[in-house]
Amino acid sequence: MSTRLSRRRLLGGLGVAGLGLPLVPMLEREVEGAVLPKRLILLCSANGTIHEQWKPGFDGTTLQLSPILAPLEAHKQDLVVVDGLGWRYDDGPGVDHMRICMLWNGTPMLEGNEFQNNTGDKPCGWGAAISVDQFIAGQLGQETPFASLEFGVQNGGAHIYSRVSYAGPNQPIPPEDDPYAMFDRLFSEFGHSEAELARLRARRQSVIDVVKGNLDGLQTKVAAADRLKIEAHLDAVRKIEQRLDSTVTCEVPMLGEQFDPSANDNFPLVSRLQIDMMVMAMACDLTRVASLLWASAGSNIRYTWLGLETQHHTIAHDSSEPARNQIAAINTWHAGELAYLIEALKAVPEGEGTMLDNTLIVWGNELADGWTHAQQPSPIVLAGSAGGALQTGRYLDFGEQRHNRLLVSICNLMGLPEVTSFGELDDGSGPLELG
Amino acid sequence: MASRRRVGDDADVGCGTRGVLASIVALAAGCYTGVGEADGDDAAVDSGSASAADDDGGSESGDASELCADPSTDTSPLRRLTRSQYDHTIRDLLGITGNPSQQLAPDEKVGAFFSNASAPVSELLVEQYMRVAEDLAIEAVANMATLVPCDPAGADPSACGAEFVDAFGLRAFRRPLTADERADMIALFEAGLAAEGFAGGFTLVVEGFLQSPQFLYHLELGLPPTDAEDVVPLDSFELASRLSYFLWDSMPDDELFAAAAGGGLATADDLRAQAERMLDDPRAGEAIASFHMQWLKLEKLPALEKSAVAYPSFVPELRDAMAAETARFADHVIREDDGRLATLLTASYSFLDGPLFALYGVTPPADHDPMEPVALDPTQRSGILTHASLLATHAHVDQSSPVHRGVLVRENFLCQQLSPPPPDVDVVPPDLDPNASTRERFEQHRTDPACAGCHELIDPLGFGFEHYDGIGAYRAEEAGKAIDASGEIVGGDAADPAFDGVIELGQMLAESEQVRTCVAQQWFVYGFGRTRGDGDDCSFDAMYTAFAESDHDIRELLLAMVATDSFRHRRLEGGP
Repeated sequence: MSTRLSRRRLLGGLGVAGLGLPLVPMLEREVEGAVLPKRLILLCSANGTIHEQWKPGFDGTTLQLSPILAPLEAHKQDLVVVDGLGWRYDDGPGVDHMRICMLWNGTPMLEGNEFQNNTGDKPCGWGAAISVDQFIAGQLGQETPFASLEFGVQNGGAHIYSRVSYAGPNQPIPPEDDPYAMFDRLFSEFGHSEAELARLRARRQSVIDVVKGNLDGLQTKVAAADRLKIEAHLDAVRKIEQRLDSTVTCEVPMLGEQFDPSANDNFPLVSRLQIDMMVMAMACDLTRVASLLWASAGSNIRYTWLGLETQHHTIAHDSSEPARNQIAAINTWHAGELAYLIEALKAVPEGEGTMLDNTLIVWGNELADGWTHAQQPSPIVLAGSAGGALQTGRYLDFGEQRHNRLLVSICNLMGLPEVTSFGELDDGSGPLELG
Repeated sequence: MASRRRVGDDADVGCGTRGVLASIVALAAGCYTGVGEADGDDAAVDSGSASAADDDGGSESGDASELCADPSTDTSPLRRLTRSQYDHTIRDLLGITGNPSQQLAPDEKVGAFFSNASAPVSELLVEQYMRVAEDLAIEAVANMATLVPCDPAGADPSACGAEFVDAFGLRAFRRPLTADERADMIALFEAGLAAEGFAGGFTLVVEGFLQSPQFLYHLELGLPPTDAEDVVPLDSFELASRLSYFLWDSMPDDELFAAAAGGGLATADDLRAQAERMLDDPRAGEAIASFHMQWLKLEKLPALEKSAVAYPSFVPELRDAMAAETARFADHVIREDDGRLATLLTASYSFLDGPLFALYGVTPPADHDPMEPVALDPTQRSGILTHASLLATHAHVDQSSPVHRGVLVRENFLCQQLSPPPPDVDVVPPDLDPNASTRERFEQHRTDPACAGCHELIDPLGFGFEHYDGIGAYRAEEAGKAIDASGEIVGGDAADPAFDGVIELGQMLAESEQVRTCVAQQWFVYGFGRTRGDGDDCSFDAMYTAFAESDHDIRELLLAMVATDSFRHRRLEGGP
């Protein structure tokens, strides 16, 4: 079977709701065998939701979308709304917003004092385990130049609040907040001629050889605790090296007019640009696994484009009715971003359907409720069927269960049936019954 | 080896700080998370302060010096250059100015200060290092004439390339290359030379150096241990780098390299002499500015946004002038004025430019030079606590914030960490009210017992700042009422904790042993890029003593710090 993207359809598709960004890939990729590649996209937003405005109705056949999920109306047959999961957990280091990493790794943070300010009475270190996207990237990501890509929108500094993807214990992966830098990372080599490309690769290879030698030489010289840092560095260099020979061809997209990606009011523009690039990277098969973090845990973004001047976290700590409605409005906006992502994936034809069919999107939140800081019931929305593995168009309420089961299900849906538990808090009850 | 007990470890030491701590904890149970140190031992941190801050000096007996006879320090984790260290190093190494590090993932912090001490690099960061290095190498071609010590067009380009590798390598790795490193880099040069000529070899070598761990990390291996000691001296090139990154936020200069090569950094006095020279260099001003931007939590100032309705005058030029004021002021106080902490906290002059004159209500002098001090109204402006940078950053978009300002003083001047509010309380600033002052609107903190415990430690400090609005403009009244800026340093060490306005607060903080110890502690964390541990007590006591004996001259604190055992040694992990 061959997949061929027509230039025109992509133009029409990816331009749908966004910046009119002329994203024009030239995907001429032969897909070998009958099985199309699966993709995983994890989305995370902050400060919790308003459960009663999030929970949809479901009569057994049709979803009646809630106010927050209303922007997804056109795609409700592609959704599974998952209720009743969470990571209620009172022991261990860190509290509340610091636990954002638990969303995707299901494991309490490391003991430590790296993060102790403004975090409550229990300090902690970085996340203590690999996140589910990185686990899957490690299993499935070998065929693409990037095993995974991490996108961010105004995450700010290196903090436990602003990291959701982990390569392992104490190995947070910074998301790229700058869409222009992400563009360079993904596409800057595509404009080169074959000769230029060959020259660049040869130069990079020769530098990498020296750098690897220098790192190797340090392994035995530095203290045992520091050796992990050198190993991680070496590992990163090797991954970049492996990518040197990748032969994906994709026409370089054009970027629109530059803006400041760190200015508060440009948050929606950055979000769209990052989503565009994520879809583009997947359409070109640069990667099959991606995560996106909208701001950080306890986000202080001001959603001025919704008429909200007060910082998000501040609103979340206001229990008044108007403030609760504002939190709902913020979540509704994020549902709209998910709708945009779904539309962009649907615009890329693949096999008999579209790229969405072969994708699993998981949208989660660091908290269930920003007012109480509860982490249960966590508002989870799945979209796409992961190549037909997931029956969509449903609402499932699991009562009160560990969300580690969801992490197991993600692995299973992505084609790793052997995974039966994920994360330290897993209680051994296996994947969710997704029917 | 005698087990080292520090002076303040005994619970019965009659120490002001410990007593204060106990009273704070009693006052606000559950609100106080301990002193801002990460060794997990509450007593440890302020025991250092206890001994140093001991009023009668009696505890500094012969016992203490005996305990400190053998060099001691704590474990120092492998750290990567911070962004600003990267930028300054690139400037001094390649002659390229700008902020190339903005393309790198952000820095971690230790305490208030940037330091990449915990997490290893990610693939993204390593790729960023690669791309930045490639761009810089191309830019550096323009400076090739100054970087290459021979004629690239001469008869023997290979020999010239080798000369370049030696000269550049010393500066890039901040020590002479080993034979293996040299051979690798020469081979890299030859590969580039063969393919693309001299510039091709030059750029490849630059890329190779800039991506190597010897450049990107503060590698401190120390001298080989001679016996069973677990503390070993750093070698002279490692000391040169410690000096330069501490005092300049950048790589060593030629004189430091020469001193390192010629045995000129062998003694504590040698280090002090170098440090004195270095403090006279403008680069020290940058490090001092960098320290204060982080200590005062001003990192967000360059991108600070305010409500255009509440503060239409808050334009980027004003914001930039605010940042420049604090940077220049701190540099001036420490390097050009008397260097005293009290001056930093109480001086009634500052450095104004552009729209900052209007904000401060000062008429710009004719032929104004922004590098020259301007006298300010001493009833309105007095030291860094009255800088608009601090006041605007620690405020809301449309109003002041007694809470943010109070927290800054409590945590970063008194070194007492606070917990955040519990999740189920409203933390929204009270709505603006044309008929009520900020103080009145925040009264709920006092009346609601759920808030009062913690806010008793915060608000009475923060109310002292109420003469300054959300962008730091002075105001005599708010909502038609005269400002009430009376406050109290709850749990402080002043006999009379009450004050009226931030000018009095600054004077009290300048006299407080808690604050002086805290400032020394902040410089320690900044300079070492790590938390202070048990093994650092003797060193901390030594630097604090020098600080105290010089009437709290920050220069003396810095000069004493470079002469300490902690500065000159490394602890072997897992040693005996």
